[in-house]
Amino acid sequence: MITNRPISDLKLEDLLQLPQYSLDDDEKNEVLLKLIMEQLPKAMANPHIKNLFVKQGIDIEKIERLEDVPFIPVQMFKHFDLSTNPDEKIARVIKSSGTTSGTQSIIPISKETAANQMKGLKSILENYLGQRRRVMITIDHKGINDPKKEITARGAGVRGFSIFAKEIIYVLKEYSNGELVLDMPVIERLQKEYSDKDAYAFGFTYIIWKTFCKQMHDRGLKLKFNDTIVFHGGGWKKLTAEKVSKEEFSRTVAEVLDTQPGKVHDFYGMAEQTGIIFVDCERGNKHVPNFSQVIVRDMRTLEPCKVGEKGLIEVMGALSNSYYSYAILTEDIGHLEGMDGCPCGRRGRYFRFDSRVERAELRGCGDTFRE
Amino acid sequence: MLKCYLLNGEFKEIEMEGFDRIAESIAENRAILENMPLTAIVELLHQLGKSIIRDKELAGLDGASYISIWLRRDNLERICRLNFGDNTFADQFADGGIGFSMMAQPRGIVCHWVASNVPTLSFFSLVMGILTKNGNILKVSEENRNTLTALLRGLSNVKVEIGSKEYLGRDIVRAISVVSFDSRESAIGEAFSMVADCKVIWGGADSVKAITALPQKETCEIIPFGPKYSFGVFDRGSVENNEFRSNLRKVLRDVLLFNQMACSSPQVLFFEKSSKSLKDIAQIMKEEFEALPSKLLERPIPQHVASRIITTRGMYLLSDNKEVVQPQGLDWTILISRDPGLEDPVHGGCIFVKEVDSINDVVPFVTRKIQAIVLCTTTEQSRIEFARLATRRGADRIVLPGTAHDFTLPWDGIMAINRLVRWVILYSEKNDGGSNAAG
Repeated sequence: MITNRPISDLKLEDLLQLPQYSLDDDEKNEVLLKLIMEQLPKAMANPHIKNLFVKQGIDIEKIERLEDVPFIPVQMFKHFDLSTNPDEKIARVIKSSGTTSGTQSIIPISKETAANQMKGLKSILENYLGQRRRVMITIDHKGINDPKKEITARGAGVRGFSIFAKEIIYVLKEYSNGELVLDMPVIERLQKEYSDKDAYAFGFTYIIWKTFCKQMHDRGLKLKFNDTIVFHGGGWKKLTAEKVSKEEFSRTVAEVLDTQPGKVHDFYGMAEQTGIIFVDCERGNKHVPNFSQVIVRDMRTLEPCKVGEKGLIEVMGALSNSYYSYAILTEDIGHLEGMDGCPCGRRGRYFRFDSRVERAELRGCGDTFRE
Repeated sequence: MLKCYLLNGEFKEIEMEGFDRIAESIAENRAILENMPLTAIVELLHQLGKSIIRDKELAGLDGASYISIWLRRDNLERICRLNFGDNTFADQFADGGIGFSMMAQPRGIVCHWVASNVPTLSFFSLVMGILTKNGNILKVSEENRNTLTALLRGLSNVKVEIGSKEYLGRDIVRAISVVSFDSRESAIGEAFSMVADCKVIWGGADSVKAITALPQKETCEIIPFGPKYSFGVFDRGSVENNEFRSNLRKVLRDVLLFNQMACSSPQVLFFEKSSKSLKDIAQIMKEEFEALPSKLLERPIPQHVASRIITTRGMYLLSDNKEVVQPQGLDWTILISRDPGLEDPVHGGCIFVKEVDSINDVVPFVTRKIQAIVLCTTTEQSRIEFARLATRRGADRIVLPGTAHDFTLPWDGIMAINRLVRWVILYSEKNDGGSNAAG
């Protein structure tokens, strides 16, 4: 018991207010199952979700473990409206990048869900940043967060991470052909006026590497702040193809931003689970916050894997009441490193991301489409 | 850089820059094969077939028992006869019946590009090259090469005596080389193409187009086994008769073999309207899937296929008007749809099932891309009628349940052995229109 109340009495609000990573795995399973079970009958208002349950003969009352909550493959957000609220309650719609298939995921967000997601992200980041606000160095261009434009996953990321920002500074600019380049007047201003300030940097992994680090290196530039913490996520596939390791990435970024590699945190997350990110601790393990759970499923049997076994990452979350986010099976492969025992002191499950599902296909004589 | 796993009868891995040494060795060694009578070649392969089931290593290979049966003397002779008309043509000038004699001369060196989706494919391709007395170089994937080299090791150890003469499997093997190289290495691909007197290509559309376009000798023959699609059809009577369950079981084997990635793997099953609903049929299929041997069910599934299965199941689970019958794992999946037509293959044991008013409603779906149609009908007359219509539109093979993957010629509409030889003629001075053989 980490509060003066029994675990079974905890509400989502409590999980968001508690210090993150404070629940043991068993405790979390208990409280999260209860919270998700409360949401499932409402989710049945969506005809597609109802189909999912009915066709599999799933009786909500009989679900006893988180593993038994039916998952939806992440691709379903590209094909179905998974809203569990009436249209008038949807405040905005997030669209995923759709870089692999070209089709975007559509994620309907209600005001309540947006508020939960914001609180969730804040409580996660607080664990790494403390409670003080800092200067936010956004390694992207300003247009990515233009309120007049459609919200993309990149834009949503910037907005989410800005919770702790005293001031948001975009260090890149975008040419009309879409090319991203260093915004030199901004870089020069940062060099002159911000060296005594605490900062945190945020950006997408491949933009940080391919654009920011490369152009800073080519120009022999560095940025120095009093204390800098870096968060980056997404786009590892492109860097893996270039054979850039996580260690090399962290070392290079730390050099450019004059910080320690241990303060460069990779995080794993997805637009379909906004508000829930899994940030690396200093041991390189990704930790699962109190209001989420991660199940790694065997790619052949779809049964939960044991610690160390690789499989598909399923992300469970209790933040949304506007779409089915309770169990999403990703196309990412990872493995659990352990439960409750990370030397960094964070409780709950911790895992590693290994790769995206291979897309390379056998080009055999049966490799054809219908005509 | 290419890797060579078999050269001059020796099984060892050698790295090479080009094909000169391989081509030289094969050109020299194939002289013995050229002079070997077809009956001796068939007998050696027949003996290999017999040894496969006796040899622990060979018997453990996927498809070993089928290869063993396929290599039987009568089957090989039948295949040759189908292509040559008279097997004598393979050994000597023989009566052409119209004033001159003919002979089937080997083309020279046959280069085989073999896709990796069916591990035993390279062997069947090679046997056609052997029966036509060609030298053979096979480009195989590294993951499948052990299947081929194991079989060729077996062939090396076989010998037969015909009359008073001894023939050695080793002499056939000396005219074969097995290589692998990265297809993106265009210079090696071009060099491989340039040594070919005949190119046999097994692969998807991109591979066939790319390999066909490589520079080659002006006289080079190309035999493309390109991408194809297969499905199954059951008429009303066959759904309602007593053999339905047993026929379904055989079709389901066809579905699961080779992870459903072969051109002959059924992707959709069409059932003519009957007293059994699609749900009834799916239930029987479920029971039959569950009864299949664990070796078939628990096969490895590549990541990208697993991902496609999960996504397709999700699409069917969330959609209205679609049903899915599935176990917890990915062993098999039955997808019930009311959408007309064929479906893009998912592979990995995912079979679409659909109902049609009449089996003839399926005929418009047939194109030149259709290879095998597993056809179950109650009368031979309706079978022939359907076959006539479907093959006219483009289907290559109308087969029975359980035989979708049987490697019989013609394959993909091609009499490959016939094209692996050059038909040559000899006018004889002695005969000016008679029918006597000149050889």
